[in-house]
This record gives sequence, structure tokens and C-alpha cells, in this order.
Amino acid sequence: MIEITSTPIILIAILGTVGMILPVMSVVRKEKGSNSFYAAIAFGALIASIGYVAYEVVSGQLPPAAVFSADVLANDSFSGLFAIAMLIVAIITTAGSFNFMRGQAHPPVYYSLILLSTIGMVLVAYSTDLVMLFVAWELMSIPTYVLAGFMKKNPSSNEAALKYFLFGALSSAIIIYGISIVYGLTGSTNIGEVMTGLANLDPSMMPLALLAVGMFIAGFGFKMGLVPFHMWLPDTYEGAPPTITALLAAGTKKAGFAAALRVIIMGTIALQLDWTFALGVIAVMTMTVGNIAAIMQKNISRMLAYSSIGHAGYILIGLAVAPFTSLGIQGSLFHVLNHSVMKGAAFIAIAGIVTTIGITNIDKLKGLGRKMPITSLGLVISLLALAGVPPTAGFWSKLLLFGSALETGLPAWAGWLAIAGVLNSALSLAYYGWIIRKMYFEGETEKKIKEPKAIIGVMIFSIIFLVGIGVYPDPIIEFTKNAVPILDNALIISK
Amino acid sequence: MTNTMLDFVIVSIALLAIGIYGISVKRNAIRMLFAVEMIVNAANLNLVAFGRFLPNSQGQTFALFSIAIAAAEVAVGLALIIVAYRMYKNVDIAEFRSLKG
Repeated sequence: MIEITSTPIILIAILGTVGMILPVMSVVRKEKGSNSFYAAIAFGALIASIGYVAYEVVSGQLPPAAVFSADVLANDSFSGLFAIAMLIVAIITTAGSFNFMRGQAHPPVYYSLILLSTIGMVLVAYSTDLVMLFVAWELMSIPTYVLAGFMKKNPSSNEAALKYFLFGALSSAIIIYGISIVYGLTGSTNIGEVMTGLANLDPSMMPLALLAVGMFIAGFGFKMGLVPFHMWLPDTYEGAPPTITALLAAGTKKAGFAAALRVIIMGTIALQLDWTFALGVIAVMTMTVGNIAAIMQKNISRMLAYSSIGHAGYILIGLAVAPFTSLGIQGSLFHVLNHSVMKGAAFIAIAGIVTTIGITNIDKLKGLGRKMPITSLGLVISLLALAGVPPTAGFWSKLLLFGSALETGLPAWAGWLAIAGVLNSALSLAYYGWIIRKMYFEGETEKKIKEPKAIIGVMIFSIIFLVGIGVYPDPIIEFTKNAVPILDNALIISK
Repeated sequence: MTNTMLDFVIVSIALLAIGIYGISVKRNAIRMLFAVEMIVNAANLNLVAFGRFLPNSQGQTFALFSIAIAAAEVAVGLALIIVAYRMYKNVDIAEFRSLKG
């Protein structure tokens, strides 16, 4: 049984209570348009939750990561890291919405849905049972369908939501079909028992097990934006409100990786690596398609959407080499944490630009560096971190990821993953550099615009986070090292 | 009981195939939604059938969870489709073209 005082339960209690009470309060108060009031309550609940998780991490109460547990939920460093990443994203989104949602309809519902979706994301990382994983996955997804279409009068928001919903529903249907096959093969829904069952499977049943892992890759891949399954992603990220795009790109996508790490990696290991080559091919395809398509975009949201596809490819390198070295998963976890902050900050900066100037076309960003200095600086730091330029956090996580692919050298193709990753990073610098050039080196000197205060706060936090970790990465590297799931030694193929 | 497990699996795979055909060929949002529901129900049938032949009942419990979740999902999906219908007077997703590039 799960203890009633364990971290996931307490997070559900805090966020769930506040999330359910917010809409009720709006009915009782009968007051329209007090956006900051509800935002402050949601923000407080999120700060309390992240404080609780961070206290557990810092005080060293968390056990090192275990893959399997007899329980439904496991409280270990792996889930702690993901919980911190998701809660940071939710906090960034809520803070960005202080200004973005001013004057919009139904703010209490908006914040309530963000909190409910956050519970889902956090629980995906904590769950060690397929039933729990699926319920958490849906708790995460369903509120985001509504949030993507929250601007009811705006056709592109609605179109984005509808496309997102159809592909999201398809992905959950595929996941549940995969779970049903796995349950039929092994007779259990506990991930640990499933993996033991798969490792000792009758060879005649092997095609079915491969089909199930394939279905997991497809189902989780839809949310992660892997390449054959990415077609909804640019439309949704462009059409949805920018604050929600931050939540989608930085939050739900990372939850996909949390689920993938718990399920797919263990599956590939149990199935004697038949799927690792496929993961490597998907990784290279994903990063190449994402980065090449990003070069051609005129709209900054859409460009960052394609760049987010590219980053899914980088993170997948770590998953592809995971059976051969623990450095791979460590790099993936580190990049997940960094990418949450940099993508979240970049989209919140766009939200700030949209609320003040109302444009997302890159050609019209001329002279933004002088109009909105702090927002632009935050955007530039996140773009440089996305490209992996040295004094930022993005450099260390990319180094770890590409280094892990070079270090193993065991599957002959692992080195190519690192080469593809480095070439793609160089390519990505081209379009990030283009935005920076437009903002700082073009356009006449114009008057300063008053920047939204909450967005300045988010920018300052992300600059401190990204540059701080870039200068002194040791504690985070140590933390991600503890968060790597301990695999059974017999299953790891040594050199 | 004369039904074997294979009978259930064959029906389930047929439902899965119809669902995948529906979602890849049809462009009407409601038809696509129902195609997705067929895949979910194929999985539910699998879970219940496996639960019947296995010594535990986890599969049948899971099927209950899955039906409840699918209902919530359909409610949200139909709401989005109604909003789209009010805006475009149409539910054909090929007609929704404000986003491209």
C-alpha cells in the first residue's frame, strides 16, 4: 500500500484541492476579471508543492532511483527530478499568465485546469504501474486539450485544439492497446513484473511483445513529437495561447519522456535490444526534420515548435544508447530539466511580446532588443541555451548526451548519433542566430515599451537558472546521476 | 463456455483495423473521434478477455477505468467540435486551414 504521507499523495492533495476550489470560488465571489487573484492562489499552491519536493531532494531523503516497485507509485530520485521539472514549468506558465490572461474570459477555470494537468504530469513520473500510468497520462492530457482551445473566439486556437485532441486521443488509444497486449502476455500490469515476464517470454510470442513496444513508442511518441508522429505539433504550438504552448512544449512533452524511460527502455532491455536501433533511427530523423523545417519558418512560435521536435531527437539519443551506458539516461534527464526551463522561458517571452506588441512574425521583431530589453535578453539566453552555446546549461547536457553516444561505441552506429547531433546543433544555431540578429542588429532605435512585470520575473529566473547551471553544473550533474534508474546488471551489456 | 481466447482476439484486431482505417481515411471530425473510440474499445475487449482467462482480475478493473476515461475524453472532444462547428459551420478538418507552413 502507498503511505498517505508520501510525496505524490501530498502533491495530489495540495494541487488537487486548490485546483478544484478555484472554480467554486469564482462562483461564490461573483466577481469578474480578477485574474491576478486566482493566479496568485495557483502560484502559491505550486510554490508549496515544489518547495516540498525540493526539500526532500536537498535533505537527501529520497532513495536513489529504482525502476520497479511493488507499489503503484514509487517515490525516488527519478520521479523527484521529473516532478521538479514539471512544477518549474507549471510555475513559469502561471507566472506568465498573470499578464497574458488579463482581460480574458474565465481565469479561474484556466488556472484550475493548469493545476490538474500538472498533477497528471507529476504522477506520470511517479507511477510504476501501467494502470496508474495511463490514468495519470489522461489526467495530464484532457485538461491540455481544453487549454489549447481556451481562446474560444479565435479560429486558430480552436483549430489547434481540435488537431491536438484528435492526435492525442489516438495516441492514448494506441497506448491502451499496447497495455492490453502486454497484460495478455504477462498477466500483470506492474511494470516490474511485466518486464520480468517479457524477458522470460516464449519465443513464439516474441512478435506480439515487439508489437506492444512498438505501440508504446508510437503512443508516447505522439506526445513527445518524434518524427513520424509529429504532424500535429507545429499547428498546435502555433495556434494555442503562447502560455499554454509553454506548458505543452516544456511539460507534457517531458512527461512523455518520463513514461518512455519507465516503459520503453525497460522494454528494449527485456527484449534483447531489438528496438534500440529503431530508436536510434527515429532520433536522427527527428532532429534532422525538426531543424531543417525550423529554418524555413517565418513565425517564431512555429520555429520554436520545430526546434522542440529537434530537441526530442537529442533527448532520444540518450534513450537509444541506454542499454549500453548509464551516461545516456543521465544526459537525457539533464537535458529534460534544461529543456523545460529554456523552452518554457522562450514561449513565455513570446507571450510577453504578444501581449504588448501583438506580433509573432520574425521579420517584424526588428529592434526588439531596444524596445523590450529584459524580455529580449531572456529570449536570447534561452535561444543560446537551446543551441548549446558554452556558458549556458544547454551546453553541458548536450555534451553529456553526445559524449554518451561516443563513449559506448558498442553498437557500431552509436558514434553516428553523436555526429548527427553535433551537425544538427550547428544547423540550429543558424536560425536562432537569425532571430537574435533581427532583434539586436536591425531596425531603428525606438522608444522602450513597458514590459509586463510577471514576465520580467520569469525571464530573470530563467537567466539565473540557465547561466548559473552553465557556470557551475556539478550539483545538477550529481543529482541526475542519482536519478538514473538502477538496471539489473545482468541486463546491461558490458563492453 | 465454447469461446476460446482466439475468438476475442480476432474481434479485437478487426475493431483495431476498422479504427485505424477510419482515422486515416475519413476527414470528418466526428467520424475520426468514433474511429478512435473503436480502438479504445478494441483494447477494452482485449483486457476483459485476457482477464477472463488469466487468474487475476486486473484487466477487468483496468477496462472499467479505461471506459470512464474514454467518456471524459469524448466529452471534451465533442465540446471542441461544437465550438469549431459554430465557427466554420462544418466539421471537416480538411477545411480548417488557418494554420500551415
